[in-house]
Amino acid sequence: MATTTATITLSSADLLSDNMSLSATMNLYKGGTTATGLDQMNYHRLIVPTGTNFDLIEESAALTEDANYVYIINKNTDVTDYVKISINSEEIGRLYAGDWLFMPWDCDLSAAANDSTIELEAFTHEHIIEYALFHNGETLVTAADS
Amino acid sequence: MATTTATITLSSSDIADNSFSISNTSTLYTAGTDTGISETTGLGRKKVADNSNIVLLDGGLTSGIAADVTADKSAKVYIKNMNDRGDGTKYVNILLAAVEIGRLYGGDWMFIPWCAASGKDIEFTASDTTETTLEYTCFYE
Repeated sequence: MATTTATITLSSADLLSDNMSLSATMNLYKGGTTATGLDQMNYHRLIVPTGTNFDLIEESAALTEDANYVYIINKNTDVTDYVKISINSEEIGRLYAGDWLFMPWDCDLSAAANDSTIELEAFTHEHIIEYALFHNGETLVTAADS
Repeated sequence: MATTTATITLSSSDIADNSFSISNTSTLYTAGTDTGISETTGLGRKKVADNSNIVLLDGGLTSGIAADVTADKSAKVYIKNMNDRGDGTKYVNILLAAVEIGRLYGGDWMFIPWCAASGKDIEFTASDTTETTLEYTCFYE
């Protein structure tokens, strides 16, 4: 097992009448375990053109009913640039230039879920996107010429 | 305008051959500008001992504290499951409308942008009726 931590700090000196500072740290554990760390990850960097809603992280049987965590960051710098992040055609929200998200992802292959693939569409300009998936296994594809 | 920042650090010394560390800070701006977000719901805490589907943040409200959180803007949501991890089998499913996003086990947190259009509620369903405590906040324009 591996030990991977994710820490968030939210802070502002002037949003409220007093300083705001919130910090949280979590370990990325496998689902159903007390303290067994996830030991697999994928890290990607992409240039995404505008005009198409793309599958960013595809659902698979190996990712169901478990603890998977997704990190996505929009590396563009023009403040008008954004990408839409969706699951199953439901827009989660927009990541503007410099924004990031971190969320759990439970790949749900049930008929009711229809599709739990994480999708991304770029607007205004092409985007540089980095994303990571911390997971407990993925469905490997047998080579066609094996 | 206010300056609010969100910093993430992901690190591991043993998930790969070499140490892995990523740290990024984003400033929370209104949509398409470099003007800081100036509104927040404040930090909330919700306790439930119920495994039915419960609305945490109600999208598309026309009145109330979150009425200004509307679609196609720049809302950001933080949620943390404050429970202990326990035996690792208890979690809270986080949903956007009827679509499951993922599971927050005890101690887990998430930070996402939120399209807060009508019906795009952020909901949760606990895995059982054990008392569950969530902390959450929304920054919006």
